[in-house]
Amino acid sequence: MGLLDTILGRTKPVPSNLDALFGIPSASITLQSAAGLVCSGRAGVCYKPPSGQGIEQMQEEIDRLLTLDGGEPGITSEDSFGYRWVVVTDSDIEALVTRIHMVNSSLADAGWGPQLLCSVVGLAPLPPSAPDAPVVVGPGAVQASTAFLVYLFKRGTFYPFVPTGHEQRSTEEELRLRSLVADDLRVEEDLARWFPLWDLPVG
Amino acid sequence: MSTARNIPNDRGLTARMFVTGLMIVLLYGAVIAMLVAVGISYSIVLVMAAGILFVQYWFSDRIALFGMGGHIVTPEQAPQLHGAIDRLCAMADMKKPRVAIADTDVPNAFATGRSPNSAVVCATTGLMRRLDESELEAVLAHELSHVAHRDVAVMTIASFLGMAAGMVTRMMLWTGMMGGFGGGNSDDDNGENAVLVELAILVVSVVVYAISFLLTMALSRYRELAADRSGAILTGQPSALASALVKITGEMSRIPSRDLRSTEAFNAFYFTPAIAKSGMSLSSLFSTHPTLDRRLAQLAAIEAELGRPS
Repeated sequence: MGLLDTILGRTKPVPSNLDALFGIPSASITLQSAAGLVCSGRAGVCYKPPSGQGIEQMQEEIDRLLTLDGGEPGITSEDSFGYRWVVVTDSDIEALVTRIHMVNSSLADAGWGPQLLCSVVGLAPLPPSAPDAPVVVGPGAVQASTAFLVYLFKRGTFYPFVPTGHEQRSTEEELRLRSLVADDLRVEEDLARWFPLWDLPVG
Repeated sequence: MSTARNIPNDRGLTARMFVTGLMIVLLYGAVIAMLVAVGISYSIVLVMAAGILFVQYWFSDRIALFGMGGHIVTPEQAPQLHGAIDRLCAMADMKKPRVAIADTDVPNAFATGRSPNSAVVCATTGLMRRLDESELEAVLAHELSHVAHRDVAVMTIASFLGMAAGMVTRMMLWTGMMGGFGGGNSDDDNGENAVLVELAILVVSVVVYAISFLLTMALSRYRELAADRSGAILTGQPSALASALVKITGEMSRIPSRDLRSTEAFNAFYFTPAIAKSGMSLSSLFSTHPTLDRRLAQLAAIEAELGRPS
């Protein structure tokens, strides 16, 4: 914020940075070989729904766009903080990232970019039956997530989030994952911004 | 549809704030010019006032927390409060301030600290008990806007002159009462002059004090409106802030003011002032916060802006 904004008491809404999302597939390959984690097939977009009818029409438009290519519609839910989650499913990570990017860019293009909080991609352990197989493609490949990659729109950075139980997280595992994806993604350096996302609907 | 991104700046508010700020700066200039013209015998007062205010500013977080009985809480102790602030900070791309809770039933919140890096946002238990999640979030967004606008620094600088003038006035009155104006040698011509000069300084400092007080109060009200505005745009829900304001101001006026005297000094950084003002028509000139009607009207305008088809 500039000096003039300070003197006049103004803040500008922060625009979102969306393109970094496309770094997720390469990070996923790294995680598969180094940590035995693959994409769980679920990802979510979280935004703060502003009041007014506009956002509801936007939400309908997003639901329509998600089913255009024959994919499953997004699952919309609201968390305890009043933020809305749109959870999309696709077992192919490239397609999954394209879908969350579509949700994000639809919101941003309509001017709701400042309301975007984060995007989350679920990670799950490699199925033991096929340790060296590529990521399984096809319906039914969605697994329960054990770790998450959180993308902060306003910072353009990622951080790993590993919940281990009721309001508990494994900082050790998160720091390990951070070092693994550091080459593929811009990792959030300020650890104070790695806020926990309990009861993620992306699960 | 209109969105947060294209809600225009409030030009009227910006202009009023600019004019108020400009007048404070002009007042500074006039006083300094006068001091230079008269001689620098009273500069020591300015230095003292600057010292006191600097200490107040530098330790503002600790002073306010101590005065309010607030204590810093960890995310484990207050997960809901921390979670709401985490998310708001992520949306506004600002550094997360420390979070504190004050164990008092007065429903209020304040932000303090000399810079965004040392900021503290404090909510009272009374506030958290009365408001639902979206209202609490709206109040926190208002407080975070104070942090982003650096209101503690701005108000400290703005109130400096008034404080210095107040000190001069008090010193003059004390010395006047104890030794008589002009001291012991009031018989000769020099003494006559000294009396006149001292009287003039007394009058000037009273005037400076009064003008600076009015300007500071006006600036404070504009800063509150600006924080309301930024906070409402951040959450995208102006009506949540409006309903929190109505709930709190309604509650505040019902609480006996005797218990609230101890918090009066911090009113400038509060969400709503803790002392219920009586229904004087002049009171709006002397208060740190805009009237409830003024604040609700602004929020309603933002709400209309959000719902307006483009």
